Amino acid sequence: MEQIMKKLEILAESAKYDVSCSSSGVKRQNNGTIGSTTAAGICHTWAADGRCISLLKVLFTNNCAYNCEYCVNRRDNDFPRASFEPEELAKLTYEFYRRNYIEGLFISSAVEVSPDYTAERILKAIRILRYDYQFAGYIHAKIIPGVSQEILHEIGLVADRLSVNIEMPNSESLNKFAPQKKPKQIFTPMKQITNTLIERGALVGPGTMFKGQNVNVAGNLVGLQAIKGSRDLTVPIRRKRDGKDFAPAGQTTQMIIGAGGESDASILTTSENLYRTFKMKRVYYSAYVPVVKSPILPDLKSAPPLQREHRMYQADWLLRFYGFTTSELFKNKDENLDPDMDPKVAWAIKNLDRFPIEINRASYMELMRIPGVGDTSAKRILRARKLAPVGYDDLKKMGVVMKRAKYFLTCCGKYYGDRKFLPETIRNAMLGMENGLQMSMFDTHQNLLTAASQVQLFDNNWKRLEQGAALEKLSIAGVI
Amino acid sequence: MDYLYDGTFEGLLTCIHHHYYTAKATGIYTKESYQMNLLGDFLEVETDEAKASIVYDAMEEKISHFAVRCMYKTFLSNVADKEMKILRFAVMGFRTGPKFTYMHGNDIVIAIETAVRQVGNEAERMRQFVRFSQMDGGVLYGEIEPEHDVLELLPSHFCDRFKNEPFIIRDVGRNKAIVALKGQWYITDFGEGDMPDYSTDEVGYRRLWKKYFDHIAIKERINPRCQAGHVPLKYRKHLVEFQLQTDDFERTI
Ligand code: SF4
Repeated sequence: MEQIMKKLEILAESAKYDVSCSSSGVKRQNNGTIGSTTAAGICHTWAADGRCISLLKVLFTNNCAYNCEYCVNRRDNDFPRASFEPEELAKLTYEFYRRNYIEGLFISSAVEVSPDYTAERILKAIRILRYDYQFAGYIHAKIIPGVSQEILHEIGLVADRLSVNIEMPNSESLNKFAPQKKPKQIFTPMKQITNTLIERGALVGPGTMFKGQNVNVAGNLVGLQAIKGSRDLTVPIRRKRDGKDFAPAGQTTQMIIGAGGESDASILTTSENLYRTFKMKRVYYSAYVPVVKSPILPDLKSAPPLQREHRMYQADWLLRFYGFTTSELFKNKDENLDPDMDPKVAWAIKNLDRFPIEINRASYMELMRIPGVGDTSAKRILRARKLAPVGYDDLKKMGVVMKRAKYFLTCCGKYYGDRKFLPETIRNAMLGMENGLQMSMFDTHQNLLTAASQVQLFDNNWKRLEQGAALEKLSIAGVI
Repeated sequence: MDYLYDGTFEGLLTCIHHHYYTAKATGIYTKESYQMNLLGDFLEVETDEAKASIVYDAMEEKISHFAVRCMYKTFLSNVADKEMKILRFAVMGFRTGPKFTYMHGNDIVIAIETAVRQVGNEAERMRQFVRFSQMDGGVLYGEIEPEHDVLELLPSHFCDRFKNEPFIIRDVGRNKAIVALKGQWYITDFGEGDMPDYSTDEVGYRRLWKKYFDHIAIKERINPRCQAGHVPLKYRKHLVEFQLQTDDFERTI
């Protein structure tokens, strides 16, 4: 037990900068003796940093042969090292799982000896877990760039979800920060996963982006096979039927935010491409936490760009569920998201000519464009208005966030916004609300001025504003 | 007329029957909670299976299965005046028909929706938060202390999970427990004395879990407010990872 304790400490410590906590999107029939995976994904607890814990997230080993600039596990870092034995990890996962501490395992790893050597040991561990312990819970396996096709395939037959991390949003930064990883080594396994899913008729795609379409068609195969394959690219692929599931929860990836100098537009363009080409379930974003000293990275004292990460997730959500495209979000050559505002609100203010929207006539997609209206409330509006016209007072009860939404809609022809229908006035009204500038004011109970001095406000390039400029911004917006 | 019932769902349904066939209800209370009111009339209703099932079947047929589920979940809640909320909902359902559950703007519907949401949320929390211990003899044992009476909403989830292992979930506050094996379960009275003994390797796994939990948080991002929003303090008592010292736990064993 003592030895496992030590390993767990080291290998959890090394894994924690990974962001994915999701175990959603799969319903595994439990035909083993232990386990099940619910489609909603269950968080079992929340760590002191407020992140959900649903999986045992550890590295298989942190004993890395590579030397990526941004990583704690890099070879040159003087640091305690450890590696699990396959049996150890399987047993640990099983025992945590049956105590209802976790929903499953998220196994990631450094590269010990070689990608294949490490991947084979991981494969062994998850096979013991799945077959010897009859574990039907969730397994998310991270694929190490450079791993062979055969091993990747075998891992996919055991795991629920696979991810290949892209880490750097474009190939320049990849080259600069992770010289031993080549773009090809990252995209080859991604391709293989997507194509295998299509061959099995099991690709689902991100959010509601491809809702109502069969994505398992020849035309969606990535790379060469698409051309060699069938003539009619819209014909559904004939399924391979070997009775086995391959990564039923699909594939995801992760990007680091704020390590290189990329703009939000370029990061989200990469995401959108990943969604459209590989039809990944999700792209995760991870605010860069400076853990190693490097002349080309943010210095060790700089705070992780959490607000930026938050805005990225909001924008990503718009891509996957709200029918937005990246180019819509970055009109007028903007390079970055508005730091002070939910991207959907920012978009609406820039496109006031499309508003106000009459809620008794608008389509589902139009309703979804109104700030403060989400999927649930949009559907409720559609249902309720079949019985009677929906009035202003009904909207609130349906879960619409009225203080935001009222500027952008009419009910039975009447407008309820209490200010002029002008971009600047609406913008200022929004900035006064939580999730606008207020969000940055960590503790509103404090004296406002001291609060303001601790506020983290940013300019349009995600540079932190000096106190004077921050105060000015707050006062223009009427927050103080 | 105020009705007093025995606190069972059948009892409540019997009251609804009386509302239609004896006298309109002005209030429905459990016998223990009733404050004797000198002016008003009250009737102690005896639970009547036949009357209850007449009401139940009528609701299934004339309103909807969904509406009946909602009423039952409200019944499991501890929201104030839940009995009258359920009654008003039933009356409205009989009058309007199945579609009325879509009237998301109506106060009677909102009252039920709110209760259903609270019960559903807490049941979900319990599925997240129940922590099992390995007991001697192979049984898994967990304790919960929910505000609403959600115990019976839990077993289907865990039965799917533990195909061959027996498990017990005990509601400490209500002194009852679910006992389940191979997809079958029942609810029984369960007190301190009924507990099996902890197995010998239990402490070790709790320590490992605590260690993992403490190490996975990123120091630079510590955010107790956010954490408290997700794991309310009232639930932490039964969570291994929030016990200050695993030594505390060892003392309790
Ligand atoms: S290969 Fe992975 S673990 Fe190794 S240094 Fe690079 S990022 Fe870190």
